[in-house]
Amino acid sequence: MAAPARRPSVSSSAGMPAALDRLRRELCAAEAATGLTSAGGAALALGIPAIDGVLGGGLSCGALHEIVAAHETETAAATGFALALAARRAFPSCRGLARIAEKNVLWIAEDLSLAENGAPYGPGLDGAGIAPERLITVAAGRGRDVLWAMEEALRCRAVGVVIGEMRSRGIDQVMTRRLALAAAAGDTLGLLLRTTPHDEPSAAATRWIIGAAPSFLRSQGGDERAQGLGPPRLAARLVRNRRGHLGAWIVEWNSVEQRFELTTHSEPVAGAACDRPHRAAVA
Amino acid sequence: MVFGKRGNLDLLVAVDAGAEQLGLATGLALAQARAMHPTLTAVPEDQAADARLLDAMADWCQRYTPLLATDPPDGILLDIGGCAHLFGGEEKLRDDLLARVTGFGFSARAAIAASIGAASAAARFGAAAATATDHERDLLAPLPLAALRLSSDTVAALARVGLKRIGDILDLPRAPLAARFGAEFLRMLDRALTREHEPLTPRLPVAPYIAEKNFHEPIAREADVLATVERLAMRLKTALAARGDGARRLELALFRTDGAVKRIAAGTSRPVRDPQAIRALFVERLAALGDEIDPGFGFDLARLSVLTAEPCPDEQIGFGGHEDQAEIDRLVDRLSARLGRRRVSRLIAHDSHIPEFAAAALPAQATARAELGWEAFRRFRIQAELSPRPLRFLARPEPIEDVFALVPDGPPVRFRWRRALHEVIAVEGPERIEGAWWNEEGGPARDYFRVEDKAGLRFWLFRAGLYRDMARGQPPPRWFLHGMYA
Repeated sequence: MAAPARRPSVSSSAGMPAALDRLRRELCAAEAATGLTSAGGAALALGIPAIDGVLGGGLSCGALHEIVAAHETETAAATGFALALAARRAFPSCRGLARIAEKNVLWIAEDLSLAENGAPYGPGLDGAGIAPERLITVAAGRGRDVLWAMEEALRCRAVGVVIGEMRSRGIDQVMTRRLALAAAAGDTLGLLLRTTPHDEPSAAATRWIIGAAPSFLRSQGGDERAQGLGPPRLAARLVRNRRGHLGAWIVEWNSVEQRFELTTHSEPVAGAACDRPHRAAVA
Repeated sequence: MVFGKRGNLDLLVAVDAGAEQLGLATGLALAQARAMHPTLTAVPEDQAADARLLDAMADWCQRYTPLLATDPPDGILLDIGGCAHLFGGEEKLRDDLLARVTGFGFSARAAIAASIGAASAAARFGAAAATATDHERDLLAPLPLAALRLSSDTVAALARVGLKRIGDILDLPRAPLAARFGAEFLRMLDRALTREHEPLTPRLPVAPYIAEKNFHEPIAREADVLATVERLAMRLKTALAARGDGARRLELALFRTDGAVKRIAAGTSRPVRDPQAIRALFVERLAALGDEIDPGFGFDLARLSVLTAEPCPDEQIGFGGHEDQAEIDRLVDRLSARLGRRRVSRLIAHDSHIPEFAAAALPAQATARAELGWEAFRRFRIQAELSPRPLRFLARPEPIEDVFALVPDGPPVRFRWRRALHEVIAVEGPERIEGAWWNEEGGPARDYFRVEDKAGLRFWLFRAGLYRDMARGQPPPRWFLHGMYA
C-alpha cells in the first residue's frame, strides 16, 4: 500500500517509538483494504506544513471530509473553507498553468439551507478563486436527495469536487460510508458541509469544525474601524482524523495565490502520547 | 339528464337513453322537462370537467394516430391518413375505436371521411358508424344544414328561405348565396366537400420520431417498462442515426388499459442516441415519480417519442476533454431527470451593476455549451477594481434593525440581524450602486458596506436611500443585509 509513504514527519514531531509507527502503517493498510480511501489517490496539501503533516501530506482526494460550521451563523466561514479546498483541488491552473486541467465542482444543497444561509453567488465565487463556469449547483428538496445526488456526482470521474450542504441531521454511518466509497471509486473530493455541529458517527476521513476569526488588521491599533477588512481568516479545528493527530489552527485564505497561510502557531489539542486522543479532550 | 344555462334559461344540454324515450331532448327548458316528468334527476353541467374528459379521451386516442385535435364540446378529430393499415384498414380501426370507447361506458359515433367537415357532419348527424370516402356529396346531401358547423343564426336564416338540407344548396348559384349569407358559409361547404383544404391543428405537436409497442398482455412492472423503453430506444436509434439526429427531449407515453395515459418527459443536455443512456434517464424519472405512476391493471401500449431532436455529431473517441464533458452532461441529465430540470443549474453573469441581477442560475441542461459571460465579468472586476463580493447571497435582502451609525449616512457601528446584535469592528465602503437612469429597477440608490463584527463574521450590508433625501420628502432609508463573506 502506498499509504505509509505519504506520512513522513508525524512520528518525528511527536517523538513516538517505532512501534506506534508500525501500528499506524498497519492501520492504513487495513483502511485501504476496506475501500474507504482510494489507495492510489493523491493528497491535497493545504499549503501549511503543520496541518499537512498532521494529515499525512494533505487531505486524501478520493475521500469524504466533513466540514461543520461552529455555529449556524458561521456557515459562510465553513463555506469559505470548503470552497478554498475546492479551488485548490479543481483549479490548480489558476496558480499559473493553463486552464486545461480544471475540473468541475458540484455544489449540492438543501433548499432550506439555501434560503437560510444564502445561495452561491457567482461574482463572489469568482473573486474567491472558483471559476463560476465550472460550477454546477443543485438544489435538493430533501436531505436524502442531497445524499443521493452527492453519491451520483462522487462516482463521476469528470467531477473534481462535490460539496454537499445539509442542514438536517440524521446522516448515519451507512450513508457516510456510501459516500466515502463513492468518493474513492470516482477519485473525487467529497466535502460534506454541515451547518450545525453534530457528533454523529461518520465514515468521513476527517471532520473539521470551522468558525470565523477576526481578520488581522484589527490588532494593529489606531482607528480600528478605518482599517478595513483583511483577508478571510478562519478558526479551523480538526476534530476527527483517521490518519493521525488532531489540532486547531487559525488559517488565512489567500485567494490570489490560492493557498492557506498560518497566522498563529498551531495549538495541538492531542496529547503527545497517543495517536487518538480521548473524545472528551476533543469535544 | 344534464342541464346548463344558455342565455337566461336553464336548458337540457344532455339526456340519457331513458330520458330520450320519455320524449325529452336537448334544448328543452329544464322547467318544462320538470313539469312533464317531475321525478327526473337533473344534474347541473360542469364544462370544465367535460373539457378535462375530452382531453383525457383525446390522450387515449393518441394510440391510433399522433395527429389529432379536440373538437369541443364533444368531438375528437383523428387524422388517420397513413396509420390505418396498422390496424387492418380504416373500418377495422373505427370498429376497434368504437368497441373500446363503448367498453369504457361511453356512447360514441364515428365517421371516416376525406374532410374534417364531412366527417364531423356524418358523425354528428348521419347514420351511426357511417363511412364515406370520395362520396362526400352523397353523404352530405340528406343531412341538415346545421351539420356544416354553421352558426345558429345562419342556419335559422337559411331555414327562413326554405333551405333545410345540404342537398338543397349544393346546386344553387354561389354568388347570391355568398352575398346573402356570407363567404364563411360557402367556405364551410367547400371544406366539407374537400374543395378547399382544411388543416387539422394538432392538439400536441407531432414528434419527429416515434416508436411504439403494443402488448397483448398488459405490463405493470417497472423493470418491464424500462426494458420496453430500451427496446423502443433501440428502434429510435436507427431512425435518428439515419438522419444524423440525436434526442434532446423525450417523452414516454404509457397507455393504461382503463384509458388513462401517463406521460413522462425527460430532457438531455446534449443530443443522445444511445439506448442505454435513454434508459438511464427514465430510470431516474420513474424513481422520482415513484407511486405517481400507478399501473392499475397494466399498460397495453407504450410509445417513446423524441419531442426535440438536434443534429448529433457521430461519437468521437479519445480527446480527454470531450470525454469529461460528455460525462458531466450525463451526470447533469441524471440529476435533472430525478430532481427536476430547474434544480440543476449553472450560474451565468449578466451585465448589470445591481447585485441581484449580476448573476442568475439557469438550468444546466440549457446552458451546457452556452457562453456564460464570466470572462467578461472577470475583466470588468479587475479593471474596475470591484470590491469583493460575498460568497453567499440572499435572494431577498433581509432587513436589519437597531442600526446605529456615527454619522447619518455613514457606516453602521452595530446592527441587529435575526435577533442577534452584531458589533461592527471593521468596515469598508460605501460602494454606491444605483439603478440605470432609464428605469426604476433596483429602487433607490444603495450604499453597500463590507463589515466585520467582533466574532469575525463578515457581511455585506446596504442602506437603501439617503438621510439627506428625507428633507425632500423621500421615505427614511432602510438597512438590509444582502450577503455573507467567508
